Amino acid sequence: MSLKRYNKMAYDDFEDMVFGHSIHPVKTGFDLEIGAGYTSAEVNYAPRPAAGESKEKLIAEYQKITTDILQRMVQVGFPSVVLETEHVQQMTVNPSWGAEIAHEQKTIMEEFYDEYGIKCALRHTPADIRGGKESLDLRGDSYGLLLESFEEVASNGADMLSIESLGGKSVFDSSILRNDITGVLFSIGILGTLDVEFIWEDISKIAKKHDVVAAGDTDCSQANTAMFIAGGLLDRKLAHTLAVVARAVSAPRSLAAYEAGAIGPGKDCGYENTIIKAISGVPISQEGKGSTCAHSDLMGNLAMQCCDLWSNESVEYRGEFGGTSVQCWGETLSYDCSMMNTAIEAGYAKVFRDVFMVSDRYRDPQAFILAFDNAYRIGESIVKDGNDIYLRAKNAAIEACNIVDEGSRGQLELSRFEKASLAKAIKSLHSLTDEKDVFIEENMNKFSTMECFRPENYGY
Amino acid sequence: MIDINPQRILVRYNVKVEKEMTPEEVAEKLFPVEENIREVAKAVFEGDEDEVVESIQNAINNGLDPLNLINNALMVGMEIVSTLYDDGVLYLPDVIISAQAMIEGIEYCKERSGQEHEYKGKIVSYVVEGDIHDIGKKIVTVLLRAKGYEVVDLGKDVCVEEVIAAVKREKPIMLTGTSLMTTTMVGFKDVNSRLLESDINVPVVCGGGAVTQDFVSQYELGLYCEEASDVPKIADAIINGLNIGQLRKEFHKH
Repeated sequence: MSLKRYNKMAYDDFEDMVFGHSIHPVKTGFDLEIGAGYTSAEVNYAPRPAAGESKEKLIAEYQKITTDILQRMVQVGFPSVVLETEHVQQMTVNPSWGAEIAHEQKTIMEEFYDEYGIKCALRHTPADIRGGKESLDLRGDSYGLLLESFEEVASNGADMLSIESLGGKSVFDSSILRNDITGVLFSIGILGTLDVEFIWEDISKIAKKHDVVAAGDTDCSQANTAMFIAGGLLDRKLAHTLAVVARAVSAPRSLAAYEAGAIGPGKDCGYENTIIKAISGVPISQEGKGSTCAHSDLMGNLAMQCCDLWSNESVEYRGEFGGTSVQCWGETLSYDCSMMNTAIEAGYAKVFRDVFMVSDRYRDPQAFILAFDNAYRIGESIVKDGNDIYLRAKNAAIEACNIVDEGSRGQLELSRFEKASLAKAIKSLHSLTDEKDVFIEENMNKFSTMECFRPENYGY
Repeated sequence: MIDINPQRILVRYNVKVEKEMTPEEVAEKLFPVEENIREVAKAVFEGDEDEVVESIQNAINNGLDPLNLINNALMVGMEIVSTLYDDGVLYLPDVIISAQAMIEGIEYCKERSGQEHEYKGKIVSYVVEGDIHDIGKKIVTVLLRAKGYEVVDLGKDVCVEEVIAAVKREKPIMLTGTSLMTTTMVGFKDVNSRLLESDINVPVVCGGGAVTQDFVSQYELGLYCEEASDVPKIADAIINGLNIGQLRKEFHKH
């Protein structure tokens, strides 16, 4: 393995981080440069249910979606846009479907670029199809099919490659529903990281071969699951302080993609991306208030603070009063970007960044740890032990808990339940070994009785 | 970096409305008085599987009937947990941990009595074909078991054929299906059609990421469910004789 571990922060100071700028911008698609001084909308969509009935219907659906978005962009005068196609399963298990759709989308985008000069690029995110009916099969036959899908979209029009990989998912699901902090750390910090490293070495090779961008991963399947189960302020499904731990640990996990060759932009639903940007300097996509079409959000403004692409997560393609859903959300996102770009041009970017951040900073502990100053602190705790995938994950979890604990003595209000849950998490984390091998062995044994857990998925 | 006093920007309603008493204090008032029963119920509340079995052993040694302990001690403890969850005092993992302890206890009681326990009703649960996201189904399954239902869990990525065969075989009072994606949730349509073809009118409770009330309402047997905690209430309503129309009126929130 040729992994490039991060042992120091890309940014010297969290104050240097801002939206629209990254240390390592990415050029892609038609004249687009991400993180190079401006933000762009990244529009994300899902086909209507009936479109999945045949390849022809699916291709036609994506043609309409692509045309609709680009038409709206030029009608309202937006200079750039990214389209992200998250594969429905049929597109990945039949790699030629994904290829044809990428080709059709890119052809339409090229026509708009040729006619109007709109800067644009296409991200394709194949579905992680490595999950069987009984258990995950991360390195079996379906892995070969997944890589074939990447090959096909990369050679047929996709400019950027991403995935929401599933490593650790079965252990995580079981752990999060039992308040098992150790299991959360093991599933995301160890199993997730091992899988991300494994898969991104191959995706990066494919990207290089086809001269496209290995963009990045997201811990949607775990940290976002925790965030969604945690829900709103009044939901009582999961302590938000436990979701904080899952999020913090997801940062070193998703960082592994960049250690294995990805260069950004990180994928939109990776709420851990601000931490990753602080460590690596890669541009990032983020979602927040523009993704309420897909889920509620406790950091709708804060998520904009350091974004380079601004996304809506996903919306089903359908009609709205103001056009089709992708046009409406694309326009909303682009107006946000227009505001951010104006702030950059006028020299007020950091003021806007601070307003975005502080408007949600105290809304929830999950938002609090991702405020860019706190995200930076978590980043520092990760690079301190950057070569040890266990210690850096444990560090991130402890630092996030410390940040919330300190915050609760200031403006961050916590309920008694959240305080108790936080204290319990801190106690659990401090009781853990400092030895990676010991931790892994203990947890491999602990979860070996779980029917759907297969150590061989992670090289054990 | 600027900072503000957030008081005029947002309200942490969870802090504002938090109950004064701790879950343990509330539960203490609800535990049964009889010592043997109380110990079993407390062990379920605490979610301690070993303690559950030990307290059942003690109760049996003191002359209590193992099968009676299921309804009169284990389910009583679980009912306290469910009540506290419904009242916003406990969190979902508390319910799951307690339910697991209760299930262990039921198995032990059945083993000791050598007889079968009579459940409130049988329910078949599954995740639609093409979809492997099953955490929602797992939550629903546990909540149903916690309320005394027998759940036949078909797992994830389940084809229509398998669902129909299970319904014919198990004769459940309802079916629960979850789906995360727009393109997989069409599986509900096929299940609905196949059940109707076989003259089976069992309600199909549908939920999950991309599923909407409008979508589910298109299908004769479909009942949309947004919150996992509503599923046991739907099961109770079915046992109480509500038909699909009445169920929709009661549980369709939009």
